[in-house]
Amino acid sequence: MAAVSISAMQEPRRALPYVAPALALLAAVILVPAVYVLWLSFQQSTFGRAATFVGFANYAKILADPYFWRALGNTVVVVLVVVHVEVVLGLAMAMLFAAGLPFRKLLIAAVLAPYAVSEVGAVVMWRTLFDPDTGFMTRVLTGLGLLPLEWSVVPSHGLALVALLSIWLHLPFTFIILYAARLAIPKELYEAAEIDGATPWQSFRRITLPLLVPAILVAMLFRYIFAYRLFSEVWLLTQGGPARSTEVVAVYLYLEAFRYNDFGAASATGWLMVVTSLMLAAFYLRRLYREMFARAE
Amino acid sequence: MPNDRAHSLSGLLRLLGKAVAVALVLAWSLGPIALIVTAAFTPERDIFATGVGWRPTFENFVALWQRWGDFFSGLANSFIVTAGATVLAVLASTLAGFGYSRWRSRFLSGSVFAMIALRLLPPIVTTLPLFPIVNALGLNDTHAVLIILYAAFFVSLGTMVMRTFIDQIPRELDEAAMMDGASQAQIFRRVVLPLSAQGMVAVAIFVIVYAWNEFLFAFIFTTKNAKTAPLVLSEMVGSLEGVEWGVLFAATTVQLLPILVFVVLCQRHLIEGLTAGATKG
Repeated sequence: MAAVSISAMQEPRRALPYVAPALALLAAVILVPAVYVLWLSFQQSTFGRAATFVGFANYAKILADPYFWRALGNTVVVVLVVVHVEVVLGLAMAMLFAAGLPFRKLLIAAVLAPYAVSEVGAVVMWRTLFDPDTGFMTRVLTGLGLLPLEWSVVPSHGLALVALLSIWLHLPFTFIILYAARLAIPKELYEAAEIDGATPWQSFRRITLPLLVPAILVAMLFRYIFAYRLFSEVWLLTQGGPARSTEVVAVYLYLEAFRYNDFGAASATGWLMVVTSLMLAAFYLRRLYREMFARAE
Repeated sequence: MPNDRAHSLSGLLRLLGKAVAVALVLAWSLGPIALIVTAAFTPERDIFATGVGWRPTFENFVALWQRWGDFFSGLANSFIVTAGATVLAVLASTLAGFGYSRWRSRFLSGSVFAMIALRLLPPIVTTLPLFPIVNALGLNDTHAVLIILYAAFFVSLGTMVMRTFIDQIPRELDEAAMMDGASQAQIFRRVVLPLSAQGMVAVAIFVIVYAWNEFLFAFIFTTKNAKTAPLVLSEMVGSLEGVEWGVLFAATTVQLLPILVFVVLCQRHLIEGLTAGATKG
């Protein structure tokens, strides 16, 4: 009797009421809009006017737009710099913490602090630090005989500041992933290496680095995908200026839609972002897909 | 003997190197925050002056209170939106986590995969179609629209974290309750819910930090009534020529401190959630 009711309760359709709210939320806010964007990208439409089908005209338009290519180029450079600097710094910090530090918990709390800071807050902090007239870092740089960052005038300087503050905001995430992975490496491996006379550098190269590869890949993948969305930092710092020179793809999309009222071009940009995001994630998604269906068997 | 001295010298050097590294890490992580918080307690005219002693004051906070009422209603909005999004996301994630933990089917596997894939899409893309829809529904500039958006962008991470936690609750407990005649809903409420509190805390922390600080959606979907604190802050930066820096720093400090204290207090859960979230999807 009880056995029957247990097997009846294991019928998969009984899971539906539980998973339905989460799926409905995702469908309404992400899935349906994403599909609708695909449709919009083939339409000529501005806000408040009926759409007409134009085929690939929107794609042709943005692909012929030098501002789009500049935004894409800026995005690629900033993402590559941000993610790789983060991984190197995060790795170095993970090694430092793993080597044993006093007040470890307190120090980790300090390292996590930027995680709590909003993008707006971070922009306030970093533009104050690098203010051309009064900024602390400006004084340090000129004191060292270096040129200060003229981030509101020189495009590459603006992007450098964007990269710097993105790294600052997201380093806690990268650090935690790498540090947790480093702690999971068994102590015995290092003890054995030491008995065999390995130098610290050798045990880093031969033990730590190879065993951290999966964690490094996961951290990089997530950071690629999330860094690619970069909007607020740029918008709040330079608004893409001067003369549209520091735009990134998300800012380009926003301006097409909400300043130039070209929803078609913005949707085409959006759909290109969707496709490229999924391509970036393809490796990860494929592994995940196998895992999921292995679980179903 | 000389060998020993060389040993202690290299040990000393190593210690020194560590100390310098820790100092650099601290300066990098806390420097920008300390700068703004200190400046918030500095009289406006002293902030950028060199060679003046620090005379702590609350005058910037008083000025903020008197002239930027908008900022405080922004804080109230942030609070409402954060609370709402957290409840919605934790509730939906816990239910779904239970569903995915206790049942198996191709549909369920497929849908959990879709969940994770959807989470990877850039949020700005969904604003394009949502903007006219939200307007048509009269939801523009309401708390509800932000609550739904924020919950939706965290529900898949939340579901993965909850599934991991609920997987650890032995199924024997479910079966024992079933023998006693409990329905599935009762098992969820009486058995699973109390035992998955830790996971719910981990999910809540993510949503709270995200919703409290979020800029993009607030920027696009709110204009006046539901404006959150980060948005008001950005307007203070924007109106910058002739800005009152002291007031801006005071506002930045007020927006930051509660969430900073929260993150430090929840450090352990946050680290658990971050590692579980990254490795499990």
